[in-house]
Amino acid sequence: MPQQRQFNPYSENGGTILAIAGADFAVVAGDTRQSEGYSIQTRYAPKVFRLTDKAVLAVNGFAADGNILVKTVKQRLEWYRHAHAKDMPLRAIARLIQTILYAKRFFPYYVYNILGGIEEDGTGAVYSFDPVGSYEREACRAAGAAQALVQPFLDNQIYFKNQKPKPGQSHPTHLPLDHVLSLVIDSFTSATERHIEVGDGLEIYVVLARGHSAQGLSNIPGAQEISQTDEGERVFVVRRDLKKD
Amino acid sequence: MFLTRSEYDRGVNTFSPEGRLFQVEYAIEAIKLGSTTVGVRTRDGVVLGVEKRTQSPLLESSSVEKIMEIDRHLGCAMSGLTADARTMIDHARVTSQNHAFTYDEKIKVESVTQSVCDLALRFGESVEDEGAMMSRPFGVALLIAGIDELGPQLFHTDPSGTFMRYEAKAIGSGSEAAQSELQDKYHSQMTLEEAQNLTLRVLKQVMEEKLDQHNVELAQVTVDKGFEILDEESLKAVIDRMQS
Amino acid sequence: MNSLVSKFSSSTATSQLKQAKKHLQQEEEEYGEPAMWGSAGGFGNMAAGIPSFQIPAVADPTSFLRLHTDDAADPSCRIKIQHGTTTLAFRFQGGVIVAVDSRATAGSYIASGTVKKVIEINPYLLGTMAGGAADCQYWETYLGIQCRLHELRNKERISVAAASKYLSNLVYSYKGMGLSMGTMICGWDKTGPRIFYVDSDGTRLKGDLFSVGSGSTFAYGVLDSGYRWDLTDEEAQELGRRSIYAAGHRDAYSGNSCNLYHVKEHGWTYLGNYDISKLHYDGPGDVPGSAGHGYGYSERTAGLSSANDPAPSTENAPAVSVQA
Repeated sequence: MPQQRQFNPYSENGGTILAIAGADFAVVAGDTRQSEGYSIQTRYAPKVFRLTDKAVLAVNGFAADGNILVKTVKQRLEWYRHAHAKDMPLRAIARLIQTILYAKRFFPYYVYNILGGIEEDGTGAVYSFDPVGSYEREACRAAGAAQALVQPFLDNQIYFKNQKPKPGQSHPTHLPLDHVLSLVIDSFTSATERHIEVGDGLEIYVVLARGHSAQGLSNIPGAQEISQTDEGERVFVVRRDLKKD
Repeated sequence: MFLTRSEYDRGVNTFSPEGRLFQVEYAIEAIKLGSTTVGVRTRDGVVLGVEKRTQSPLLESSSVEKIMEIDRHLGCAMSGLTADARTMIDHARVTSQNHAFTYDEKIKVESVTQSVCDLALRFGESVEDEGAMMSRPFGVALLIAGIDELGPQLFHTDPSGTFMRYEAKAIGSGSEAAQSELQDKYHSQMTLEEAQNLTLRVLKQVMEEKLDQHNVELAQVTVDKGFEILDEESLKAVIDRMQS
Repeated sequence: MNSLVSKFSSSTATSQLKQAKKHLQQEEEEYGEPAMWGSAGGFGNMAAGIPSFQIPAVADPTSFLRLHTDDAADPSCRIKIQHGTTTLAFRFQGGVIVAVDSRATAGSYIASGTVKKVIEINPYLLGTMAGGAADCQYWETYLGIQCRLHELRNKERISVAAASKYLSNLVYSYKGMGLSMGTMICGWDKTGPRIFYVDSDGTRLKGDLFSVGSGSTFAYGVLDSGYRWDLTDEEAQELGRRSIYAAGHRDAYSGNSCNLYHVKEHGWTYLGNYDISKLHYDGPGDVPGSAGHGYGYSERTAGLSSANDPAPSTENAPAVSVQA
């Protein structure tokens, strides 16, 4: 029986991303493996990108669409800076991403986006998007191949779902940075164990609000600063290895 | 001023040998025939005042609209060929809403002023591919008042497409006298009420008829209440306060 | 004969050349379109005032989109778009009650339990979200700015009828292209409290009571049996809550929590977020209209006969009953 194959413009490149918002910081992380089917295309293809000193965008799904989306967002950020003589606040970047994604409503970007950073009022924020632009501000979100493994863990550890506090106490509303970073690393090492498309390397971006001392990061080996200015928000990158099998 | 009128002043987009665009300059002259309009900026907000110039007692003065809202935090007053301002203000409103839609934030005062000035160049003959252009330059000047993260601001736009920021500005027929009065009396520590009094006094000086709540209009933009045009009652109260 | 062929055929050299030219022109337009400079600089696809969209250059763009994103047709499609699911609104003497759940699903994965399915178009108009989340969010925000422009140009608030007509005409122009949206535009205008149901097929209906979404049948059951025009404010709010609870309980695609709004003459008020699990066991708590106990069947019937569970004691009785 003759079969006809039509060109499929989309592909799936695996990987997982997550973001967690703290009281005055935000953490955005992603593994660095890029695969297609059963083959690994590369062990280092970044999925998390610094947009400004206040905003970091993680993209996952089809890598080509993800990369071009990041380029488009960065370009629009630059035009905005020239037209309005200021940096875009985080919620403006979130709305902008909605309009960029929805502009291709009839030929979607196959990308699941998570935007993390510091809002104008100094609080940490995470915005998550679906491929055609619907978005919502949240405290934490995981997306990608291992989302069904990581999101329930985060629901339990960040939102304290299905946990009872000790009698007389209540769950903390915000967690400190070092605790959040160990949750992130545990999420990825566990996801690597149980999902074939996750592994190789982990890149964690940390965005700190103005005035948040970088003390919490001094305990974490390998934290590199990549901020553009000394005053204002600061961005750090932490890299770790993940299992390569 | 226009002693060197020559063949170069008829073509809308022809430069003269001295490098002047006469039609644009004549358009700026047209503003001087318009009714007087005053704007004053203070730390708490910006005040706009216009002379309605009701030529006849049969004219319904409430229908004379020379101050218009652009958005909650922006408004403007006009002087000159006021019909030209309608398209400019509609463009400003659409730009402000498009910005709010795309970026979920209020547009900056300077950005909306820039967008209005972008319209000023679209005159001439339309070439096939491009959209229809205007046949002549705008004959109206605007005073745009607004508040954004940089505080209260007042901008003046003219038919050439230039805009400038002012602490206090008067445009229209009585503008020369009004501007020198403003220069004398204005100081940067003014309160909003003092600015309202100053605006009305300046208008009173240049107006032929006796000033009352029917032949002037006053508006202000503040952080709490945004842009509001004073209604007759409040206007009367401010006028009484100014006169006492 | 030759001229007829060259005019109508699409495979001769001249016609192919014409098509190629048209395509090139279109492409130039498309890439120059997001105006880069001046006041339109940075508005992306909104540069011309109305949004414009890129369409894939295939023979049938609609079936292309359906192939890749429609999971009713093919659950194994890769691009999973979030869908939203039980919403309701009804009109009564005290205004309009709008109640929605907060679950968003992408295929059978629960993408979020905290979605805001009531879109605050402006301080006196609300829109609900059912169907594609992005379609509802994007177009209802767009409707909001158009309503604001109407207000500025006409110096009076837009009527609910006009706002809903604007939206329905807009989605009608995309009819058949794959938008999925079932929304209720609710507000209070010169004619009183008003609800209009608008969907992406182009339907627009005025009505007193609507429920939209996969759980709507469950909500209708409770809503229809409890509805009267002369409900008090508290009774109406309680009815809204109970109807969403019923849908969240029985429909797998609805649940998590209920968001409740009340539209009155001066505008809408947000009444609160009620966790559906908590509504089952404990009820809405200390709010006007509350019956003081849980909505769940076992909770309501405990101790009423020897066949039911015994009534809970005054201390915290652990809830052992299993929710189906």
